[in-house]
Amino acid sequence: MMDLQQKLEILADSAKYDASCASSGSNRGGRGTGAAHQSGVCHSWTADGRCVSLLKILMTNECVYDCAYCVNRRSNDTPRAVLAPDEIAGLTFEFYKRNYIEGLFLSSGITVSPDRTMELMLEAVRKLRETFHFNGYVHMKVIPGADQALIDQAGLWADRVSVNIELPSDKSLRLLAPGKTKDTVLRPMNRLAQRIAAHKDEVRTIKSSPAYAPAGQSTQLIIGATPETDREIIKLSEALYGKMALKRVYYSAFVPVMKDNRLPVLREPPLLREHRLYQADWLLRFYGFTADELLDEKHPGLDLNFDPKTVWALNNLDKFPLEVNKASYEEILRVPGIGVTSAKRIVRARRAGPLKLDDLKKLGVVMKRAIYFVTAGGKYGGIKKETEEAIKVKLLEHKNPNGQLDLFGEKELVKEGLEATVTGQL
Amino acid sequence: MRTYLYDGNFESFLTALSLALEHQEDCAIARAGGAGAEAGLFSEFVNAGTDPARAAAMREFFEERGSAESWHHARFAFLSEAAGAEDAVLAYARLIKEKGRAADDMLADPRVKKVQDLSRSVGGEAHMFKGFVRFKELADKTLYARIEPDHNILPLLTGHFRDRLGEFSWIIHDARRGRAALCSGGRLIYAPITQEKALEFDGREAAVQALWRHFFKTAAIKERTNPRLQRQNVPLKYRKNLTEFD
Repeated sequence: MMDLQQKLEILADSAKYDASCASSGSNRGGRGTGAAHQSGVCHSWTADGRCVSLLKILMTNECVYDCAYCVNRRSNDTPRAVLAPDEIAGLTFEFYKRNYIEGLFLSSGITVSPDRTMELMLEAVRKLRETFHFNGYVHMKVIPGADQALIDQAGLWADRVSVNIELPSDKSLRLLAPGKTKDTVLRPMNRLAQRIAAHKDEVRTIKSSPAYAPAGQSTQLIIGATPETDREIIKLSEALYGKMALKRVYYSAFVPVMKDNRLPVLREPPLLREHRLYQADWLLRFYGFTADELLDEKHPGLDLNFDPKTVWALNNLDKFPLEVNKASYEEILRVPGIGVTSAKRIVRARRAGPLKLDDLKKLGVVMKRAIYFVTAGGKYGGIKKETEEAIKVKLLEHKNPNGQLDLFGEKELVKEGLEATVTGQL
Repeated sequence: MRTYLYDGNFESFLTALSLALEHQEDCAIARAGGAGAEAGLFSEFVNAGTDPARAAAMREFFEERGSAESWHHARFAFLSEAAGAEDAVLAYARLIKEKGRAADDMLADPRVKKVQDLSRSVGGEAHMFKGFVRFKELADKTLYARIEPDHNILPLLTGHFRDRLGEFSWIIHDARRGRAALCSGGRLIYAPITQEKALEFDGREAAVQALWRHFFKTAAIKERTNPRLQRQNVPLKYRKNLTEFD
């Protein structure tokens, strides 16, 4: 008989490749224990620097599917474990009251059938809500292929629901995930999107209408296991944000845990590419960019040397330099080195008086990048005859001298990412 | 130069601030017994005491003459306990007296920037500690957490935990300042804690902690190991009170 610790280890180990970590977007509260925090709270960060905010586990890593990329595939000889609904609810509660976590992230391999799996998961979350009167955050995976009535229930118990697309095209799904197609994934996603929208309509007239997935829906795409370009991926994300009203698309650099001749051989997970995709995703959601502005058929891949906003600005030098005392907020947002926070500060501070170049740094602007793209009171601090190549050379001088690209050099983008996580803009 | 001394409490500080604002000449505010309170050849000290009416009027001054935001920044900047925070709030209050709520927009002005930077630092640490507080269950079922934050953020945490842990009795102990917040049956009090007696834990506490450490260790993806990023997010100085780093 396996003890709880062994089970937890197996089931946390199999769940960790899911990149979703947010605990934001819900305001649950009231009698009982726990509340959700609108902006989400990170409780710790693991040795890989990823945030821990939820007890992220699988209910079971048993699975009837044999997806090539997945560590839980049926044909993989790995120890299997199952947590009973009571164990899941109890463990979540013990962790929560010690403030280790914001709540539960529950996913699962497919045991017996999609319906049976979904029933057991719902039972665990229902126990947590009803027996423990738990008002903290719950993120629940919806199992593709489960009955519609069961899928509908997920949104009644959980704050966030998600179905992972994993592979960004139908062709790749058929190749690597036999048993899944684009349709089997998109159908439950679509259904949840409709229910969430219907609930939003309903609360307008019936205030007391019970919450339905108040933190919305998210999904995950695996990056680098299949040949899709960044353009295809970002176009897909744009459609998911637009048509499905998703709150988040997560990108997970492919970690080759399984050997399979259908999978690429990677020396290491494509972390920089993943980072660039997150930056592009941010530009779609908070900076007013469209996918077509960032990438076109001739340039379908994101530049690994420069962040996507800088690349866009270099390709649109006719729009720069921008006078920060006159430009609109939307235009200022498009300047490399200026994030959402500093753009807002600029618009506010210039009401009190004209801004000088020196003031911009005080407002949080990363001048080593912005300097080539702005004027303040007509003053320009960049190089005289700015050409794309000349600016590129200058920008590259700021990179890590050993030639390695430094993710943290792009402070404001990383910071924006964190801020967005903590302010609930997600 | 005259220096108004306050006793360390916010209300006393607001009293000192009110007196300093009325004083026409250059003056300073310092905590009694702290740095800046040493006698110099030309220094003159005035004990501000605590005057609740003056303190309330100061709050009104910030909120009415300035805005809710000015009050927020002034309060948070005070809680930073940073060197020079008192005089920074005084300079900020003088600016508000002169410019009214237009001062809120003067983000590049050093007087505004200083107070807002302090305020942001306090707000940031308070948010982090909503995640970093670690409770341990005592034998009597009380949840006990020890924290050692840079700023005096305890008053900014209590509302959050009262909402969440309403059914439990809990204590958050700021070991750096020798103060604790105690909450039981929805009632919250602050009390100085002078001596920490050895704590007696619930019988299951060690086992739950072990489960959490196992979970934490397992959740890291080894192909993505990045201690620098981890250090940036969980500074080493906070780790000694975090169960998962024990």
